[in-house]
This record gives sequence, structure tokens and C-alpha cells, in this order.
Amino acid sequence: MKSRIALALGLLTCLVAAPAAYAHHSFAAEFDGSKPTRLVGKITRVEWTNPHSYFYVDVIDAKGQVANWGCEGAGPGALSRRGWKKGDLKIGDTIVVDGYRAKDGSNLVDARRVTLPDGRTVYGGSPGDGGPGDNGTDQGALPTAPAK
Amino acid sequence: MTLLQHLCQLLYDSGFGTMIRESDYAYSIIESVHVITITLVVGTIAVLDLRMLGLVLRPISITRIARAVFPLTWSGFVIIFVSGFLLFWAEAAKMYTSPAFRTKLILLALVGLNPLIFHSTVYRRVHQWETLHVSPWRARVAAIASLTLWGGIIVAGRAIAYF
Repeated sequence: MKSRIALALGLLTCLVAAPAAYAHHSFAAEFDGSKPTRLVGKITRVEWTNPHSYFYVDVIDAKGQVANWGCEGAGPGALSRRGWKKGDLKIGDTIVVDGYRAKDGSNLVDARRVTLPDGRTVYGGSPGDGGPGDNGTDQGALPTAPAK
Repeated sequence: MTLLQHLCQLLYDSGFGTMIRESDYAYSIIESVHVITITLVVGTIAVLDLRMLGLVLRPISITRIARAVFPLTWSGFVIIFVSGFLLFWAEAAKMYTSPAFRTKLILLALVGLNPLIFHSTVYRRVHQWETLHVSPWRARVAAIASLTLWGGIIVAGRAIAYF
């Protein structure tokens, strides 16, 4: 009997772990949904990488200080399926990123909505990560009102 | 930069590593294969461990179970090693500094040491105890160590995404 319970627990763990492995990590693991942030800045670096993409922007604040911010997005597969291709982000281009700050307070946001230099607005979240705009589809839902 | 870090950076910068890292599908497919194969490797190992602890299949002898599961364990091991190495290849430079990945490697080394000790000691006399419903304490210690370490390896592997 004990072993049956152990087996059932083991199977349950596998079922719970499987979608987590697909999403790699959830939105809530690293980011704070109550801290919406808008970044406007020049791209300094692009990492078009699995399991998450990263790009970095230099943002100038009200005092004229420049700070480099990291922006995390979904992996290349999910972004490509939304029509966002590797070459769409070029060093030096100015983009607008609406995202949510990292819980650890570092200069990192989860990029949910990115406005590219050509004017297109794309959803940046990982499919199934449970963050704002995740509607269970690959495309996601762009937040209707931009985050402040 | 240490030699090891240099090697990791070489792997990371290689065309093949970059191809996996920047792929639309390859990375997630390899990752899925790696995760699914955990069930084959750890599942078959766990059956033997649980049998030695006297929790499952008590009427069946240890060696009979071992003979039945080992081909599956070893096939699974080949798949999980190759897929794991490909994932490492794609992210080697980041893995070098990842505390979770380092922990996982240490646990893997320990879990490899466990059967070496087990097979050179109490398992040599397995024919004297293979039909006992609960195995001798040395075998039970090895079984608990194996279950604990494999559990730790899976947790550490999962933690790579977070640390």
C-alpha cells in the first residue's frame, strides 16, 4: 500500500513537472507582476537564445544618467512564430519595452510588449509562463493598455 | 580565464552550439527528450532500489529484477547523456558559472561512485541475499543513497533555470 502511494506521488510529480519544464521557468519565479515598467532605450546587445532570449538597452533617466537594462523574452521558437525574427533587433536601434521588474531589484525586466523600430508591437512573453498577457496560446495577448 | 572556462566558451561559441542555442525547435526537442528519459533512467533504478528496501516486488529476486531493468537503464543513460551534453554545448559558457549546474555535476559524480562501492562490496555476495524480502543494511544504505542522490540531481537540473 505504501509503495502504491509512493508510486502515485511519483507519477503526480512527473505530471506537475512536465509543463514546468516546457515553460522553462514561470513568470512569477523571477518577476513581480505588480511592478510594470516602461523602458525606452537604445539596444546594446542581443542574445537570441534558448531557453529565453535577452536583449539589453541603454536607458537615460530624468537626471541624464545612463543605465543598462536587461530584457528577458521567450525563446527563438516562440518569438519566430509571432513574426519576430532574429534580425529585427539591431544594435543602436531605439525600442520601447513594456515589462515587469525582476523580484531581486536588478536592472532586468520580463519584456511582455515590445515596440520595434518599424512600429510593430510584439508580445514577448514565454508561452504558458502564467505572466501578464499569457492566454495559453503561442501568440499570447498583448496588454491593451501599455504598462506605466 | 581558467582552461575549463576557456573550453566552455569555445563550445558556446562553436557553430553547432550556437545553432542549438538559437534554434526554433531543436533546443526544446532535445530538452524534452532529456526530461522524458529521466523516467526511464531514474524509474528503472528506483525499482531496484525500492525492491532492496523491501517496498516492491518482494517475491522476485534482486538479480532477476536487475537483469530485467538494466538494458533499459543503460539505453536510457546513453540517451540522457547525449541529450544533456547537447544542452550543455548550447549553453556551456553560462553553465560554467551556474551554481545549480555545478551542484548537479557533483551529485552525478557521487551517484556514479555509489554503484562502484555497492558492486565491489555487498553485491558480490548477492546470491546469498537476493531472495530476502528486505536486503541487508549495506544494500539498503546504497538504495537510499541512490534514491536521494537521483532526487537531488533532478532538482539541481531543474534549478539551472532559476540560478
